Amino acid sequence: MIQTINLQKLFATEEVETTALNGISMDVKDGEFVAIMGPSGCGKSTLLNILGLLDNPTDGEYNFYGTAVARMTERQRAQLRKGSIGFVFQSFNLIDELTVYENVELPLLYLKTPADERKQRVEAALERMAIMHRRNHFPQQLSGGQQQRTAIARAVVAKPKLILADEPTGNLDSKNGEEVMKLLGELNDEGTTIIMVTHSPYDAGFAHRIVNLFDGKVVTENFHV
Amino acid sequence: MLTNYLKITFRGLAKNKAFSFINIVGLAAGLSCCMLICLYVYDELSYDTHHPDIAQLYQVGTVFVNPDGEEKTAATPYRLADALQQEYPEIGSTTRLVGLFGDDKTLLRANPVGNIANSKPAVFYESKGYLADPTFFSFFRYDFVEGNPKQALANPHAIVLSETMARNLFGNQSALNRTIHIESNTNGVGDYTVTGVFRPGTVPSHIDARFFLSYAGGGLSQYINGTTGMVSNNMFFTYLKLKPSTDARKLEAKLPAFVEKYMRKDLAVAGRDKKQFLTAVRDIHLHTDLTHNVTPNGSLTYLYVLGSIALFTLLIACINFMNLSTARSGKRAAEVGVRKVLGAEQASLVRQFLSEALLFSGFAFVLALGLVWLMTPVFEAVSGKTMHFSLGQRLGLVATFFGISLATGLLAGSYPAFYLSSVRPITVLKGGVGRAGGSLAAVSLRKGLVVMQFTLSVMLMIALVVIARQMNYLRSADLGFASAHQLIIPLRSETAKTSYPALKQALVSTAQVRSVGASAYYPGIFNPEDARLYGEKQVAADAKVTRMNRVDATYLHTMGIEPVAGRLFSVQFPGDTSNRVILNEKAVKELGYPSAQAAIGKPAIANRDSENYRSIIVGVVKDFHFEDLHVPITPFGFTLNLNGNYNYVVVNLKPGDMQSTLQSLGSVWQRFNYAEPFEYSFLDAEFQKNYEAENRLSTLVSYFTFIAILISCLGLFGLVSFNVEQRVKEIGVRKVLGATVGNVVMLLSKDFLKLVLMAVVLASPLAWWVMHRWLQGFAYKIDIEWWYFALAGLLAVGIALLTVSFQSVKAALMDPVKSLRAE
Ligand SMILES: Nc1ncnc2c1ncn2[C@@H]1O[C@H](COP(=O)(O)OP(=O)(O)OP(=O)(O)O)[C@@H](O)[C@H]1O
Ligand SMILES: [Mg+2]
Repeated sequence: MIQTINLQKLFATEEVETTALNGISMDVKDGEFVAIMGPSGCGKSTLLNILGLLDNPTDGEYNFYGTAVARMTERQRAQLRKGSIGFVFQSFNLIDELTVYENVELPLLYLKTPADERKQRVEAALERMAIMHRRNHFPQQLSGGQQQRTAIARAVVAKPKLILADEPTGNLDSKNGEEVMKLLGELNDEGTTIIMVTHSPYDAGFAHRIVNLFDGKVVTENFHV
Repeated sequence: MLTNYLKITFRGLAKNKAFSFINIVGLAAGLSCCMLICLYVYDELSYDTHHPDIAQLYQVGTVFVNPDGEEKTAATPYRLADALQQEYPEIGSTTRLVGLFGDDKTLLRANPVGNIANSKPAVFYESKGYLADPTFFSFFRYDFVEGNPKQALANPHAIVLSETMARNLFGNQSALNRTIHIESNTNGVGDYTVTGVFRPGTVPSHIDARFFLSYAGGGLSQYINGTTGMVSNNMFFTYLKLKPSTDARKLEAKLPAFVEKYMRKDLAVAGRDKKQFLTAVRDIHLHTDLTHNVTPNGSLTYLYVLGSIALFTLLIACINFMNLSTARSGKRAAEVGVRKVLGAEQASLVRQFLSEALLFSGFAFVLALGLVWLMTPVFEAVSGKTMHFSLGQRLGLVATFFGISLATGLLAGSYPAFYLSSVRPITVLKGGVGRAGGSLAAVSLRKGLVVMQFTLSVMLMIALVVIARQMNYLRSADLGFASAHQLIIPLRSETAKTSYPALKQALVSTAQVRSVGASAYYPGIFNPEDARLYGEKQVAADAKVTRMNRVDATYLHTMGIEPVAGRLFSVQFPGDTSNRVILNEKAVKELGYPSAQAAIGKPAIANRDSENYRSIIVGVVKDFHFEDLHVPITPFGFTLNLNGNYNYVVVNLKPGDMQSTLQSLGSVWQRFNYAEPFEYSFLDAEFQKNYEAENRLSTLVSYFTFIAILISCLGLFGLVSFNVEQRVKEIGVRKVLGATVGNVVMLLSKDFLKLVLMAVVLASPLAWWVMHRWLQGFAYKIDIEWWYFALAGLLAVGIALLTVSFQSVKAALMDPVKSLRAE
């Protein structure tokens, strides 16, 4: 269960000061699938980064599964992040020098998972994302859809409680996008909490709830059935 | 995890082959340079460390107090050792050493065993012979393969020689107790029994002997026995072994009293003064600065300079490595960001980058070892050292170098490691990487370093041009005598000297010979004889030192030394042999004669033992270079001495097949000197030997230039790569907007050309100053011309452009769509 109270995020550059988030309070329950929508520049990615413990808010509170994290150091956040959050990005962010298998294995290596268990879990994740046959390929040898499936495999391999996805279908055609959304839906059905940023109303349809942002504020929340 | 790092490293290495190669080669260049210098320094520091009682060994030195200053030397008179021993009980024992200083080479001939007289005995000339006291080998450690060092020099007619010499003289037979016939200008002729054979040690010593003779049995000791006192015959090196726990400084403090007691009276008579001092033997090589010792001493300053160069090259190699590594930081930062998002901690990333750098330095280490191994012969030739290392030393050195390499890897990897691992994961998600590592200070520092490296390279290139031009001048300058086709045959033994008239007859009648002459000395070697001459209208106080050479009647013709007035010596004028002299133009001028012509028939006067000796000038010859071009031509004279004790025969040859000529000359020589090998050299080559230091310098400078250029190019390459990486997007956009490849290359090259031009501007005056000073060492020299600078500058710009173009052309040819998407 995660909860934010009045999150503020200010970006101060030499010339201008941008308020990216201006008092965001929201709750996400365990097992929920939340979509965040809004016009470009309204603060979606900023919010997701803070929820994902990649960044700190300028002000406000953030309760991450019972821990107040708003003022933690990068090091502490990294510790907390490890194994509990999976990330999926619009631009995949796979490591070019590693194969599909090795990319997926990476989070388990950082978790110091024993070798045999690691192998089993990586293979399961690859199987699940239907990318097993490409396990020894390098990212550049894959299509966009395959790359994103690899990225999702990597996000789920450590069995995180929470998956954060920032426009996961943004670089994909509709067929591959559909596939990715189905996979996220399945993961959610199995109990993983998902927070996804998207511009696509169709994709948002997979979520239980849509949070609409505008100028750093929550404007509306729509609930699906 | 480690395998994961290694995987990434190896794949990255394979993927960026050029980059990896350059990085490894750069580190290897720095490392091998450093290793070679380390070898040199190690060798210098290990002088005389192997003698068992080294802490108690001291050498006695002398300070000659002259009216024009003091002269410090290691030379002492023969009787000093015994007197010191007698006076001071703290001296355990003494030993003396004296080189065969009058022999450029000493003749050694193996005497046959029994009367197997039909086989020709082995005979050859050897240098670096010494006379030593019986105690010598109890002071200095020599590893004997035959004989007993304690007894070796007990017999007054003993010889101890190096293994190589024993081989040469006796082949594979034992040398012990065999006898050797020795002819020495310094020590006379005699037979010596071999009492020891030593294997040259791996530790260098200030005593570079190839063989030792007992002092007591030879001509020098007879001469010394005929002298008295401790004022003159300062030609011996005296060593003391102090009793344990003796304070050498205290002993040294007593020496002024010793001088008073033993020498004052004699010194007063001779109108001279001197002091004695002590030098620890282990300090001789690096911590003394004496005008004369057994071998010239090394220089500590020089070692500091070399050490700094080693550190400096290593540092530059590290900096270039950092430059190149951070140049790829955009790409690496993305990786770091992803890894952090996936749970990597900073420490593990630091470990990753450090292990990567260590792997690179490991490769560089292997490559550097190979380079050092390849370069050692060149390095030995340039440094004039031969380096022997035992297996243990080798392992130690390799381990040390490995340590240095690892340390270099850590140093070089630390900046990229800590810099990159601190990338915040958030930045990668924003696509904001690629501008990393570009703080203004860091960029100016990199630029500054490249300018510095190029300044050094350009200076070295200019120096190389100046040295090459001067060397060319030294080789081709008109010396004032005919130096080509002149064969020099040394007359070393008594037999050879007396055989000269007959030898000359036979040589002249050989088909390939034009003419033959003989003299005491020839141009290019030291001409020790001199006279203080003054002219008719001058007084004794005006006398000028004039170098004198004794020649036969055909020497001047053979040498092609031309008269400008009067005539050359001739057998047609029997009177020439007494009180006649031929002078050079310079001497005539110094004697105050208005012209060469005016001097003919006039006297050149010398005062000796308060008597006047007048010689009549019969000829004046054109000034010629009897010394090399470092020094100006000074007054010089020839006297004719028909049954002279000549040291050298000069044979002027007709051009033609040298091989057969030498063969026929050799057989002529053998007719008169059956027992001596036919040795010869060529006058031009002998003359050029005076420029050995310059030759070495030029080789050294060319290697350093090569390395400096290599390293500078790597530095520049790093900077360009970094810059290109930063501007990928800009280049893409420009290309989309219509920029041609040429435009882009120009855009990227311009900035770097500026840096190189700056380096040329900085280097030129510095190089001019340094080379101008270097040329001051020559009395005859080239002018430094503007085009040397232009040439070096052009070369530098060319090399820089080539380096830059590697990256800039690649960037310019890059598909703009790709470079835009890469953002
Ligand atoms: N590092 C930064 N420095 C300064 N301003 C920033 C920074 N990151 C984001 N911003 C600003 O904060 C605001 C929100 O940015 P954010 O990336 O969260 O938008 P977004 O909703 O994800 O937009 P998009 O849909 O285009 O991805 C923007 O106005 C942006 O310019
Ligand atoms: Mg966004």
